Amino acid sequence: MGSLTEALVLGLGSGPVCLAACGPALLPWLGAEPRELRATSRLLGLFLGGRLAGYLGFAVVAWAAGMALPLDLRLRTLIFGLANLGLAGLLGVSACLPHRTCPMVASAREPRLYQIGAAKRYRPPAAVTLGFFTGLNLCPPFVAAGVRAAATHSLPGALIFFTAFFVGTAVWFIPALAVSPLRRFRSVPTIARMAMAVLAIYYAYLGVVGAASWQLVPRQSAQLVILISGMVTHA
Amino acid sequence: MPDQARSIAPQSVRRIGRSLLLTVPMALFTLLLFTPALREPERPAKLAALITWAFMMMLFFQMMRTRQTYRWRRIFFVALGFLFPVGFIWDLIALRGSMSIPVERMLSGDTPFCFMVIPMTLIPAALTRTIIFPGSILPTPSNPHSIAIMAALWILATVILGKAWCSYGCFFGGLDEGFSSIPKKARLRKINPKWRLAPWAILVAIVLLAAATYEPIYCKWLCPFKAVTEFSEVRSTQTAIQFGIFNALFLGLVVVLPYLTKRRTQCAFFCPFGAFQSIFNWTSVFDIRINKEKCATGCVLCQNHCPTMAIDPSSIAGGKMLSTCMRCGACVDVCRKNAAVWHIKGTTVGIATERARLLYLYAAWVFASMFGGAIIANSLQKLIGLIV
Amino acid sequence: MNRWKAILGYTAAGLTIAVAVVGPLVWFGIFTRAASKSSLQIDPVYTGGAPARTIARDGYQIVVYKPVPKRAPLTQTGAFVQVVWKPASALPATVAETLDLDGDGRPDCVISFQAPREPRANLRVTAEPLSGLVQPMHEVGKDSLSSLIARVNDTIVVRVPLR
Repeated sequence: MGSLTEALVLGLGSGPVCLAACGPALLPWLGAEPRELRATSRLLGLFLGGRLAGYLGFAVVAWAAGMALPLDLRLRTLIFGLANLGLAGLLGVSACLPHRTCPMVASAREPRLYQIGAAKRYRPPAAVTLGFFTGLNLCPPFVAAGVRAAATHSLPGALIFFTAFFVGTAVWFIPALAVSPLRRFRSVPTIARMAMAVLAIYYAYLGVVGAASWQLVPRQSAQLVILISGMVTHA
Repeated sequence: MPDQARSIAPQSVRRIGRSLLLTVPMALFTLLLFTPALREPERPAKLAALITWAFMMMLFFQMMRTRQTYRWRRIFFVALGFLFPVGFIWDLIALRGSMSIPVERMLSGDTPFCFMVIPMTLIPAALTRTIIFPGSILPTPSNPHSIAIMAALWILATVILGKAWCSYGCFFGGLDEGFSSIPKKARLRKINPKWRLAPWAILVAIVLLAAATYEPIYCKWLCPFKAVTEFSEVRSTQTAIQFGIFNALFLGLVVVLPYLTKRRTQCAFFCPFGAFQSIFNWTSVFDIRINKEKCATGCVLCQNHCPTMAIDPSSIAGGKMLSTCMRCGACVDVCRKNAAVWHIKGTTVGIATERARLLYLYAAWVFASMFGGAIIANSLQKLIGLIV
Repeated sequence: MNRWKAILGYTAAGLTIAVAVVGPLVWFGIFTRAASKSSLQIDPVYTGGAPARTIARDGYQIVVYKPVPKRAPLTQTGAFVQVVWKPASALPATVAETLDLDGDGRPDCVISFQAPREPRANLRVTAEPLSGLVQPMHEVGKDSLSSLIARVNDTIVVRVPLR
């Protein structure tokens, strides 16, 4: 119980940093959709769920690899790079979605941001995906929580610690709902989509720089691929 | 003056007399501002101060005499825009032989603070009490353009001018205004009005990214005016890309597009500080309104002449400018029905409009003389020093 | 009511002119004094943070600063420790120092560089890690704000990146 309280307090203290880290991806995205508060809350919940999945997934991989601090610095940079490329793609698609020719000034007509793409067969929920990619961008408080979680010496304990930490940070995301009433200004969705397009370019740059580190760590990258393949196979 | 004498004296003489009378207080006050420079022992400094004072007063006199604002203000603003880089680059070359900012300057806190950074500093400052800029909080001998001084200047300008900062204060805006003034007609006339929202999008993006990176993202990546001021040393692929972006944006947004569209495209469709300043447009007691009774339907001269597209059919119908109005006066000067008028908040639209314009110009021109005039004088001093 | 609004409006207009005229004389001083009393500081990524301890050497000092953590989640500038040698004019031609950067009593790295007299000479620094705290640097110049060597006034500033 004590460690749970500790995790919660750590999360509460780190929340502003987490909100700042996720803000560029989350806030314009919330502003681009013509939704009422209840629907926005549901989307925020899905986003946070995806973010938690990103955190926990990374934690499981790091735990299974037997490292307290997740992975080598350069390999971390590679993973963040790939996550940023994913974010860039998602933000770019979301910014341009309603029209075929993807003009910069599209305004939301349909709530397509709930799903990615128009394919009827499979439409991954965008909110969860967005949250997952932002969750893979490890912020310093997360790393600190990771070190603390690893000290629990058991995977379930570490995951519970992490989840409690996450709940503490999630409290700080509630003010993000304040974007919803701004939607009554007609220009807000257009501004939000234009902002997403700009941010997509920046995330794409971060992603390319990070992914380029793949060339620097072939041995460690190969080890990671083998590790994940082994885990998937045995699962 | 007796009625008979008044009718004998030509209107032009009366107008010149009135204009001189209105210019005198401004002339005296600005002379006071320039007195320290006029007392300088060096001749270039004296000459530069005198020329600048005369220049500013001539423009003000013309604004009084012709009862027009836009074209005289534009002359000052374009002069400011083109002369500022002259003095700035001159000082850089003299100090360090290059326009690039060496990392040593950043480490010693000697980077002059630019007002464009203000929106990006707010969230990190609120969260961590730190300013994400390699400058100094207080003025130093090596960096008089400290954060405190520039922030104080911005606050003062915002209280006095609101978004008219973009017409009287911004030492960058004169560049694209200058290039937009060159052609007689626009070659690109159709501009999607939704591009007016782009500055807001860029503002949102840079504020959020500055909070996530603790870096002045706009300065690092997007400021077109790095091309005519200073920029990080090009020492890596990243800084080379940044250098390319600055120059491309400057060429496109400040030179080519204003020339093609006859609009201030950088200011209207890109500058996030302009969007930020729009938030504070309410602080100024002066604005421009449309007298709906006088406005002829379908004329839209004001809309076509607005350099920043701050007028559209909905704003005309509402009798107001959009929040992006820079109070340059183009719409007022071009309106044939005297429907677009200067206005003081709280007063009746259309009543005593010239009085409102005068009061506005007194406030704006005092600020312009103090700030822009000092910059013009500094740059002129450098140029005159080459000759004298 | 309209009359009172108009009076207020003209009063505000007059005050605006007064602020424009008088403001610069008093406002800058007031604001600068307020800024100096505030707790606002320049981001430690630029200043290097606060000094932690000073080591005296023969004719010069070495100032080790407190570690500056990674400031923000998406920043490209990683964590670092700044070490300053001053005055630069009193340094030997070659400097090689074993330093404890985190104050735990154990050496963390060996920093070595040439210190030419010429102020504009290019500087290069090498840092060999002795603990897991520090990332290695080999002949680094001004790579980034977290990994550099630079001459600032009469000091040599080295920033060693941390893991």
